[in-house]
Amino acid sequence: MKSPRLLAFLLVTLPAFAQADRTWILDQSTLTYHMSHPLHEVDGVSHAGRGKGVCHAGQCDFLLAVQVKTFDSGDTNRDLHMLQVTRGAEFPIVTVRFRLPETSIDSPTLDCDLDVQFAGNTAHYAHVAFHQVIEGNAHHITGTVPSTLSDFKIDPPSFFTVPIKNDIPVRVDTTWHQQ
Amino acid sequence: MAIARSFSAIRFKDLFKNRRSVTLLAENKQQQSRGAIKPRGSGRDDASFVVFRQVLRLSLGAMGFAVFFAMVPLLAAQTTVPPADELRADVDSAFLPNAPTPTEAVLSANDLPSPAMAFLNAGLEQQASASVLIAHQQNPQQAPQQTPSSSAPSLGDLGLTPDQTKPDPDTQARLDRRTHMLKVHQELGLYTVIPIVAACISGAGATPSKNNYTSTTSRDVHVAIAGVGIGMYAATAYYAIRAPRVADGPTRGGIKIHKYLIWIHAPGMLLTPILGTMAFNDIANGHKPSGIEQYHSAVALTTAIAYGASIIAVSWPIHLKF
Repeated sequence: MKSPRLLAFLLVTLPAFAQADRTWILDQSTLTYHMSHPLHEVDGVSHAGRGKGVCHAGQCDFLLAVQVKTFDSGDTNRDLHMLQVTRGAEFPIVTVRFRLPETSIDSPTLDCDLDVQFAGNTAHYAHVAFHQVIEGNAHHITGTVPSTLSDFKIDPPSFFTVPIKNDIPVRVDTTWHQQ
Repeated sequence: MAIARSFSAIRFKDLFKNRRSVTLLAENKQQQSRGAIKPRGSGRDDASFVVFRQVLRLSLGAMGFAVFFAMVPLLAAQTTVPPADELRADVDSAFLPNAPTPTEAVLSANDLPSPAMAFLNAGLEQQASASVLIAHQQNPQQAPQQTPSSSAPSLGDLGLTPDQTKPDPDTQARLDRRTHMLKVHQELGLYTVIPIVAACISGAGATPSKNNYTSTTSRDVHVAIAGVGIGMYAATAYYAIRAPRVADGPTRGGIKIHKYLIWIHAPGMLLTPILGTMAFNDIANGHKPSGIEQYHSAVALTTAIAYGASIIAVSWPIHLKF
């Protein structure tokens, strides 16, 4: 009497445990930081972001990483200065980690708590809103991370003795697909 | 090559001429003292006056260089960053533990009289609340981090190789040194504008007016200012040339034009003083500059314009927004 019940229980529960983890892969990304100075407005762009997400037990952990040196502002001199100021040779990778409930993965607005590791420091950004457009298997996600220089203890570089603004918002434009 | 040859020929000729004139004047003086010839009325022809004029010119030039060499270490010291500050951030400061604070258990009521205990408690509470406030003000967005689960992806999962992720302190040190040297280059380059402009202005008054070739003061002042300008230009160039190279790709942006313009103002900075010396000697010999030296002011002006354009180019594009 006992064994059929046990068998039925196992048949119901085991597939739930054995369910394969869903994996998300970053197809393409455009990360753009914006730097502001009374004499200059500069955008630095990188298309070299790499990302992956793993959904497990109802939670999805995402990791997005990009090399600091891949940001291009259109001026070699400025890019090298940026690399020096952000200590990009000592800390060559910027990583962004966030976690989402698996149920909210397909919603048009994603409310993310981001952990951004950059220039040897980690900053936490709570409730950053990202917009999602789903086209077939492609999930197009856009948003802006409201980062500042002081979050990462970066001394603002100056031009003609005037320092740049503390706010360095990073616009994120990514396309993910489920593997 | 031809210019250099003609210049050196002129220089040697003038040198020989000057020496000869000094010798002749000395002989004249000896003859005067013996009473063989009568002294000439003009003090300009006196050997001591010639020597005095040379000394004055040299001292003006020396003063200019002294001011310049006094400025360079000051500038370098202004922009020097202590090496300890440059290499201090290899630790994630977000994870640094707080310094231990004295607790009430340490300062118990048994050890201290009650008024002292009350005073210390009040002080500790105030200190603690102040430090909490400072922490919030410094970084309001730093909150406890999410601990990634065991299934969370790692950098290795993204296909990043260890070469791409490993820190490179050597390159960082090179970048720091490069930035420091280019900051000095930038500041010194901006300060160099002052003597260059002053040399252009003083040059306008250095030409002999109304065929008056006697007064050399305006030309001496021009030489001294131009000397400072050339010295500062050389120091500015030194800091750019000696800055370590880091980029391996093609140059992009305003820096490209900045580098192209070197081909105009660097030869100009060499040619201008050469032509200036030739023109100076022509005027000192009592005739208007002719030949290649008559283009001294044109070359100088072209050099100054190229130099100014080079400063603007490296700052381009400029979007004024206040």
